[in-house]
Amino acid sequence: MNNRAIHETTNSVRSEVAGMTLDAAVGFVFIALSVASLYLLVAIGLSIVFGSLKYVNMAHGVLYLGGAYIGLLIASREQFGGLLSDYGTIGLGWGFVPALILTPIVIFVVGVAMERFLAKPFYDRDLLDQLLVTFGVLIAAQELVAIVFGRTGTIYPRPEWLAGAISLPVIGTPPGMSAASTIRVLVVTLTLVLIGVIFAFFKYTDYGLAVRAGTEDSEMAEMLGIRVGRPFLLIFAIGAAYAGLAGVLGGSLFNVTNSIGMEIIIPSLVIVIMGGVGSLRGTVVGSLLAGLVFAVATVVEPSMTNASIYLLAIVVLTIRPSGIFPSAKIGQ
Amino acid sequence: MSTDNAQPDVEDESSLISVDAWDRIKHTERFVFLISVAFVLTFSYLFSRAPVISDVTQGYHGLTVTILIWSIFALGFNLLLGQTGLLSFGHAMFFGTASYATALFSIHVFNEPLTIVIVGMLSAIALGAVAAVILLRLHTVYFAIVALAIGQFLYFLASNPLEGITQGINGLEVDRTPLLGVVDLDHEYGGILGALVVDNLYLFVGVFFVAVVMFITRIRKSPYGLIFKAIRENETRASFVGLDVWRYKFAAFLLSAGIAGIAGALLAVNTQFAGVERLYWSISGDVVVMAVLGGLGTLAGPVIGTFVWFYFKGIVNGFPTLGDYWLLMLAVSFTAVVWAYPEGIWGMITDLTAALREPKTLAAKVKSRVTGGSSTEGSNGGDR
Repeated sequence: MNNRAIHETTNSVRSEVAGMTLDAAVGFVFIALSVASLYLLVAIGLSIVFGSLKYVNMAHGVLYLGGAYIGLLIASREQFGGLLSDYGTIGLGWGFVPALILTPIVIFVVGVAMERFLAKPFYDRDLLDQLLVTFGVLIAAQELVAIVFGRTGTIYPRPEWLAGAISLPVIGTPPGMSAASTIRVLVVTLTLVLIGVIFAFFKYTDYGLAVRAGTEDSEMAEMLGIRVGRPFLLIFAIGAAYAGLAGVLGGSLFNVTNSIGMEIIIPSLVIVIMGGVGSLRGTVVGSLLAGLVFAVATVVEPSMTNASIYLLAIVVLTIRPSGIFPSAKIGQ
Repeated sequence: MSTDNAQPDVEDESSLISVDAWDRIKHTERFVFLISVAFVLTFSYLFSRAPVISDVTQGYHGLTVTILIWSIFALGFNLLLGQTGLLSFGHAMFFGTASYATALFSIHVFNEPLTIVIVGMLSAIALGAVAAVILLRLHTVYFAIVALAIGQFLYFLASNPLEGITQGINGLEVDRTPLLGVVDLDHEYGGILGALVVDNLYLFVGVFFVAVVMFITRIRKSPYGLIFKAIRENETRASFVGLDVWRYKFAAFLLSAGIAGIAGALLAVNTQFAGVERLYWSISGDVVVMAVLGGLGTLAGPVIGTFVWFYFKGIVNGFPTLGDYWLLMLAVSFTAVVWAYPEGIWGMITDLTAALREPKTLAAKVKSRVTGGSSTEGSNGGDR
């Protein structure tokens, strides 16, 4: 019945889209893909850490939150509330591109610290303890941000070249792309590249091989002389950097408040579980489904937009309790 | 002799015999009943009117009603996590649904406080029965996150598509009618009863509090409750000895949902309002923090945790400068408790009383009882 419902909605979208131009359809696809990309950038780190280290990390939302605010500080000068309200406008004001490059580096370092001081002591403990302690850290971090930066939200100043339709240097706006805004195209392209990097990392590098070996049997891998600790640290920090980047991109697509950490981590966790824990392929498919359902809902039934992804997860997990790709090995 | 020792003065170390007798008495159901009645009767007075404690909480009678209601919620949540070992990150769905059911029933069908609270509870149980079909196939983190997903789904469903029924963020009003058609809930007493309980609403909530405490005590002491504990400790082993694990988890889930529903319905009666924010994940997060902070798996723990939470939210929040940091302080202490002291505040208290008895070599004995899951109800009266 649920399949039929989804089928019906896609049908009505199709008929609606057919009435419109190609441009509108492309715009629709890019809305779906950009939402999927954001979820994916956050969920991929969660998925790797959950799958290979057996560590469930709600504090991953801190990295997204931190990314959004650090990016904001790099990109522009803002008047903040909270403790910073007396200091006038704060920030480096270097623009959007430096923020896009520097933020992941900063968050990478934060990720290293998080792995060493928060995650490592909990690797051997109960999953529920991990969930609870990282939940506490996330709430504390959000509250700290609220106290320092104030509770009112803000938005990224969007540079001129990011606003409006995409325009390439030589050919101008490609045919059919006039409804795809530049920021969304940028988000989707960046995500495609970065996901490719992660898959290549697992498949072609020695570190990726070590992570896969450590996931399979970390004791055995260590006995064979592989120090799995460092590859695990690296992969944790790469996931962190992705979440930080997602913070900058999400900040420019949506708004920036102190509660975005929790707002992004709930759907991301749901996507990881829906895709099948430990399966990168599952996380990718889960994000695409979530983005598609989100975009379909905005067209068909706007009031269901926010509820749609949770409905999707409930339906998927009712049919397949272990997720879409239940027994995939890490790196697939 | 034994009745003499039923007084809640655990620090009385006059003789060995009395301590022994005390250990025996404090685990009896009658004692738990007496202590919870005494707690309800004196709590509001001690907190908001007694001149002896501190004047920062003076006049906060309304807060004590809220604390009692949330204590019921935390106790219901604890029945699932503390007793059965299932962490639900979406308990707000029962709380909020019961709130809405209460309000809708009172508006469209029949408005009488006891009836609408029961309707609220039943609606939560019905929702629990549906959610359990999806959730009980999942384990640990999967269970927690999908419970959260269902909760968020209901939140967004209530806030937008069903706005016609729920009135979205404006919420629904619940008119206050006399209990059973005769007893006015707003009636304020004079004299000693007025000093203790102020009004009938407090008594109404207090009766539910005592009933829930007694119900949970009965479950904890019954073989049925022992099976919950067995499932928490090792689900596979429980199924090996021939227990139908799914059935018991289902039962625990429904009981927990029903108790959370009572709390949600009572809050709708108390505030005369039901709004969509009661379905939001932060409600689930709050109750997780309360139960864990106070001490999981015990009876006093969730109540203490709720008290601490609302003390910070209602009282510390109003302090100059320090007030801004109330949630940060709570979140940090929650993290610290999970990290280093999983037994919570109540565990600290029981450990302390055990340490006080050290010279009498009772420490080991008490410790084994505490870790066995049964709490010492002893210093209940003295702590607040």
